[in-house]
Amino acid sequence: MRVSITFDRLRWEEKALSGAAEAAGLEASLVDSKGLIFEIPKKRPDLGEVVLQRCISHYRSSTLTLMLEGTGTRVINTYAVAETCSNKLATSIALAKAKVPTPRTFLALTSEAAEEAAEKLGYPLVMKPFTGSWGRMVTVVRDRGTLQSLIEYKEELANPQEQHMFYLQEYVRRPPRDIRAIVAGESIIACVYRIAPPGEWRTNVARGAVSKAFKPDSDLKELILKAAEAVGGGILGVDAMEPESGYMVHEVNNTVEFRGAQSAVETDIPAQLIRYVAQVARK
Amino acid sequence: MNTSCTECGASLAVPNDAIVGELVSCKDCSTEYEVAEISNGNVLLKPSEQVGEDWGE
Repeated sequence: MRVSITFDRLRWEEKALSGAAEAAGLEASLVDSKGLIFEIPKKRPDLGEVVLQRCISHYRSSTLTLMLEGTGTRVINTYAVAETCSNKLATSIALAKAKVPTPRTFLALTSEAAEEAAEKLGYPLVMKPFTGSWGRMVTVVRDRGTLQSLIEYKEELANPQEQHMFYLQEYVRRPPRDIRAIVAGESIIACVYRIAPPGEWRTNVARGAVSKAFKPDSDLKELILKAAEAVGGGILGVDAMEPESGYMVHEVNNTVEFRGAQSAVETDIPAQLIRYVAQVARK
Repeated sequence: MNTSCTECGASLAVPNDAIVGELVSCKDCSTEYEVAEISNGNVLLKPSEQVGEDWGE
């Protein structure tokens, strides 16, 4: 069985996945997506039965997935899942539809509407870019003056969606940590707390958060799997918070990084993820 | 495998088990490169892509 792991930046994760695939007896190739070309509608059989999509650039990742699916190659995760997870608005809609508790969120389509939405939401609130990761440009907005300044800055951005549209979310009071669950299909492979470093409220490992393993209770397990299903399933990183009111999910990641989680858990995460890839390939 | 940094000229050691696509950084100036080609023990580097607005998980 042949599997390709497509990447555009070869990180520890991709090398670990490649090693795990080899150990599992799969014929696995690390494929640099930056060198790929396609002629529509020809399939690239050299890429194997299944492609594990690991590109770090969202647009390259989703474009390549669209192309692969369009020419008959199965991709983990699917284009639909990638699109839902890579746009925070689409994720929020999917979670809300599935009745997964998630922070109260407003969309505003102009600067003026953003101020009105903020009044409804109340301060402090969190402003997030629609597309983006690692906590980049995620900002706590503590008052109207700060919001107005941020709007002015956003208006200078080149991306029209980020320039004129606003994704505003309630500021959830929680311990200085969140929860990252790595899911493959219907299994939770690993679950860790991501503990924010001193002086930082964001809990992204990319911002220095430290991972600590823990065993999720049954409520959390159910919520994690429900969130993964809500976005369409596959290999996902579900991020949850634990305010006093109960667990809520704020994000689901499509190209989950797991180096931080692996440092905290004994489970061989890449081996488990490859096991899922092999299961999909056999279907 | 040894080569040199095109930015500052320092000697740049690439691990012998490196594979094409892997990232290496110059210890002196931190410029990041991607392994473009390996043949007969010689390594060819190219500048790595810069962090994009759409990069992430």
